Amino acid sequence: MKAPPATVKQRRPDASVAEAERQHQEQLEDELIMHLERDQFVEATSRPVSRAPLGARATRALWALRVFVVLVSVMVIYTFIDQLH
Amino acid sequence: MAATEASTAPQLGVPPLTDEDSARSEDRARVHRARGQDKRWQLLWLLVGPGILAMLGENDGPSMIAYASDGAQYGLGFFVPFIPLLFAMAYVCQEMCMRVGAVTHRGYGELVLQRLGRAWGWFGAGDLTLTNLVTLVAEFVAIRVGLAYFQLDAGVAVVLGLALVVFTLSGGRYWRWERIVLGMALFNGLFLLAAILVKPDVGAVARSFDFSPFPGGSFNTLLLLLASTIGATVTPWMIFFQQSASADKGMTPRDVNHGRWDTAAGAVLASIFGVGALIAGAALMSHHGSGIQGFAGAGFPEALKHVAGAAAGDAFAIGLIEAGAVAILTISASTAYAAGECIGVSHSFNSSPRNATLFYAANIGVALVAAAVILIPGAPLLSIALNANVLATVLLPVSLVLMVVLANDRGLMGAWANKRSTNVIGIAVIAFVGLCGAAYGIDSFLQTTHVIGS
Repeated sequence: MKAPPATVKQRRPDASVAEAERQHQEQLEDELIMHLERDQFVEATSRPVSRAPLGARATRALWALRVFVVLVSVMVIYTFIDQLH
Repeated sequence: MAATEASTAPQLGVPPLTDEDSARSEDRARVHRARGQDKRWQLLWLLVGPGILAMLGENDGPSMIAYASDGAQYGLGFFVPFIPLLFAMAYVCQEMCMRVGAVTHRGYGELVLQRLGRAWGWFGAGDLTLTNLVTLVAEFVAIRVGLAYFQLDAGVAVVLGLALVVFTLSGGRYWRWERIVLGMALFNGLFLLAAILVKPDVGAVARSFDFSPFPGGSFNTLLLLLASTIGATVTPWMIFFQQSASADKGMTPRDVNHGRWDTAAGAVLASIFGVGALIAGAALMSHHGSGIQGFAGAGFPEALKHVAGAAAGDAFAIGLIEAGAVAILTISASTAYAAGECIGVSHSFNSSPRNATLFYAANIGVALVAAAVILIPGAPLLSIALNANVLATVLLPVSLVLMVVLANDRGLMGAWANKRSTNVIGIAVIAFVGLCGAAYGIDSFLQTTHVIGS
């Protein structure tokens, strides 16, 4: 009687080892996933948040802040450059 | 946004797990184990980091030189209680950053850009890049001053600074980066050692907590002192850094209390070490303030050596090298976070350089540009170093206002939004910083243009 091909005999344990490794890997990944919040994943944080609804008063205040900072910054940078000379 | 940790179930449509997620999850697993086993000290050890780094990172080269200059010019008095007061103000601002980062898992730059509009987002990033570049130049100057005391030149300062940036980035893990920088930051305590070595009058230090004597001099000098001391304590990069680092560390709403302890510990340590630099500087005043003019060389450490011995000079010089080095690492990181967040690409220490090329490039690039400046012959390094804190103070109100807006955004923060008391204190801090910065800016401009006399 002819013996079954050696390759089949050898493939069986290889396949089961690979399957066990795959399952172990999946289990590890599941365990890792359990430690993160859903909105903590890179996929979730890479989705932009929506624009905040700002009232008229808040918008005016932010514009005033913008003008204030640009004016003061120009003064400080002018003074700084003048001091360099 | 503010989900609880228990709500995460792998069965419910799990997103794909990236390398960044895996690395962060491993860190979180240790936090969960420590929390589950009620190991309080281990939990605190795992969760401290961003707060201490932001606060001790701000005890940087120019700040310590500013405190020592205050001490050398005015002695003990107003600035001894003023420095802890400023760090208490910094705590209010930094606690908000930590809370927003832990609840939203997003950095300051991206939230401002997406929630308040591109104009504010880019304005904040531009403001940060400008102040960071100027401050980084000042950090290299501080390292150079410290090394000059040991007869080492500017080239060594450049190589040391850049090598540290590259070394700390090499691990591809936030945890590794944070622990290395934390270890280095503890050497900020050398300023306290320097203060002890100058053998100060403990009674005089205790008596100065009544804010007297108030510094004299012209109105503009007083404004400059206030603006530069505020800029030595609260700056735009700290806001960007702590929020982004808290998110990168993987903090969640359950960690907010530990984040508060972390931030408070940072504020206490930074104020103690800052006052240490002031007391060490004050020793020069009682010896007629000699020697500090040699700032661009090795002024302070050398002067301390003559007044209080070699050990005090050594401690101050090594402290300056440490202060500059830690600040280079944290400020470069804040620039890299802001660049990644505003452009919308991967921005995490947990990502590999291949996946977060811009983040790593910005981190190294900004340090490289600053290093190049200090090698330019005849560059106005002294002027840059002294003005870095003032510029930060002038641009700070914008970052603070936007931070308060984010921390009050119930759509983002839910139940973790600011309480009324936090808003009252936060707005008072912004008003104080804004007034000091604007008053100095306007007064100096009017003097420069000869509209008013000095």
